[in-house]
Amino acid sequence: MNEKSALMNATQDRITITVKSFATFREVMDTQLTLDIPEGSTIRTLLAELTGRYGGLGKLMFAAPDTLRDFVNILKNGRNIHFLCGLDTALNDGDVIALFPPVAGG
Amino acid sequence: MMMQRNTESERYRRQIAVVGEEGQEALGKARIVIAGVGGLGSAIALYCAAAGVGYIRLIDCDTVEVSNLNRQILYRTEDIGKEKMTAAAANLCTLNPGIEVEPVQAKITAENVESLLDGSDLVLDGMDNFPVRYLLAHAAWNHKIPFIHGAVSGMYGQVTTIIPGVTPCLRCMVPFPPPSGATPIIGVTTGIIGSIQAAEAIKYLTGRGVLYTGRMLLWDGLRGDASVITIEQDPACHECGKAATNE
Repeated sequence: MNEKSALMNATQDRITITVKSFATFREVMDTQLTLDIPEGSTIRTLLAELTGRYGGLGKLMFAAPDTLRDFVNILKNGRNIHFLCGLDTALNDGDVIALFPPVAGG
Repeated sequence: MMMQRNTESERYRRQIAVVGEEGQEALGKARIVIAGVGGLGSAIALYCAAAGVGYIRLIDCDTVEVSNLNRQILYRTEDIGKEKMTAAAANLCTLNPGIEVEPVQAKITAENVESLLDGSDLVLDGMDNFPVRYLLAHAAWNHKIPFIHGAVSGMYGQVTTIIPGVTPCLRCMVPFPPPSGATPIIGVTTGIIGSIQAAEAIKYLTGRGVLYTGRMLLWDGLRGDASVITIEQDPACHECGKAATNE
């Protein structure tokens, strides 16, 4: 199922995802939220929803359309999506997604 | 001698109630490296010295500047222009003459990092950039030396404790370096995060409590919030994962 058909099929099979944000992401979005999104959604789908909802988040997260800034850490249940399937990482009901930009100063 | 011993036991009397006699002895025998003695390193060094960590090697290459003094609480206005290591060692020895401080005025590089960590039980991260953190963490991992990472920006901070062969490595925790440049920093943040790193060191060295292993503390001073997130190992990591085992 592609993303568009997943979204159109939204009324039936939906999953609940918890999103937690940290550090500077909190300056443009809620600290924690729960979202009902279509089954079959991916991290890409989720970020499209979030960047649509929170102005300013897209600029913080993306270097170019569809290209995440490499230092942006997105964890699915503690596993970095860099080590999974990146933006194509599939989401399942109950997943907890953490968005955090590490800091570097000392 | 007896008077000195009595003075020493009096110095640590209140914390022996926390760490025990054995714990205090372990601190006295410990050899640690503090890599970078700026905002984080100042708090780490002061609390480790005060707690009686027996041998502290300090590494930094800078001189004290007036713009350091909002957060680098190891230095005083009269230290401006001095090598940080000279000023830091003098200050720590005044705080606790019963410990040994080895100041190393040097830039940490791929060439010298191994020798700088030589003989240490623990490395504490006081750096201000990830390229050097990766160098240090890599060398510490190879020598099976725990590495206590801390970093700050504004009123945000993070801490994790890396135990070679047990936890994910720094590359798993932070796979890509955040952008470098002048980070906004205020002293309370480096003080809090550096103090938590010092607490991790004391817990590790005395075998007490639960460390931030496989977990990262994310402190948010603006919102009065602290979260702990679990971060798993990259199975393909060349440092600590299967890729490393297969090499």
